[in-house]
Amino acid sequence: MRSTIIRTARTFRWLPWLGLAVFLLLAGFTAFKAVDAARSVIYWHAHRDEPIRGWMNVGYVAHSYRVPPHVLYLALGLPHQPPDRRPLRVIAKMQHRSMNEIRAILQNAIVHARPPYPPPPPPSEGRAP
Amino acid sequence: MSDQLLAWLSLYGVPVLFGILVVTAAGVPFPDTLMLLAVGSFVAQGEMSLWQVLIVGSLGAIVGDQIGYCLGLGAGRRLVRRITNRVGGTETMKRAEAFGERWGGAGIFFSRWLVGPLGPWINVSSGITAYPWPRFLLWDALGEVLWIVLYVMLGRIFNDRVEALADLLGNLTWVLVGVTAATVLGWKVFRHFRTGQAVSIDPGDGLAQPN
Repeated sequence: MRSTIIRTARTFRWLPWLGLAVFLLLAGFTAFKAVDAARSVIYWHAHRDEPIRGWMNVGYVAHSYRVPPHVLYLALGLPHQPPDRRPLRVIAKMQHRSMNEIRAILQNAIVHARPPYPPPPPPSEGRAP
Repeated sequence: MSDQLLAWLSLYGVPVLFGILVVTAAGVPFPDTLMLLAVGSFVAQGEMSLWQVLIVGSLGAIVGDQIGYCLGLGAGRRLVRRITNRVGGTETMKRAEAFGERWGGAGIFFSRWLVGPLGPWINVSSGITAYPWPRFLLWDALGEVLWIVLYVMLGRIFNDRVEALADLLGNLTWVLVGVTAATVLGWKVFRHFRTGQAVSIDPGDGLAQPN
């Protein structure tokens, strides 16, 4: 019995079956990534606004959300000239705030800079809300 | 991690771009797709110079690739020689070298920009199979310049949503890698089960070898 098992194990051609197993794994992985890609396409169509991240600077967020940059600078209490290129996580650290606080401040300012709210005037013409 | 790297990129610009591309091309898994798209967005907003980004980025990626190639040529080749001396396989190694000589150029070029995740492996395997360095450098430079130009320009065009684009491109690249690998392997397995031929993993002998 034992020798039969050993003989079968020795003569069994494992390479094709291993190939089949790897092929099935690859096919599964590819299908998983294809679903992810389809989800990315749907997300791309459904959302124009990107989540605010720590690596972004104020200019990028203003550009991505299509609001005037001075609105966001004012909301963070920063001068809008010259443009502050620092990432939000650095600004958060300097202001002793968490990224969540910074995100909330910016989102609040963005909401109030978009319709139906009237866009705030630039700082030279008056104070922004 | 990627947030921190991108913050440094936003803060210090092209020197960080160069450094990250060197280590990424050498095999360290950093989010290079998102970084290049973000750079394209910074270019669109006038925070970085397009030509500086293209030149420094290409140089960084090419330098990183040479590190992988040299590792393969030095340590990798020594290790393979030690293994083949002990357990055999010198002939297989020779066939792999011949295969690399024949198909290596296309592999190097396409793994720079189309199937990027394979890039660091191709660098090391090109060194191990002693693929001629001048040809490696030529294909490498062509592919890397194309990759940098393509991704930076995509980031420049879709500059208000680079994270969504990075997700999409990342997933598409993996789908492409998976489809390519599954097609080659699937064909070999299919032929085996249909004709009873042995499946071969030897790179130098075509799709399958008679038993």
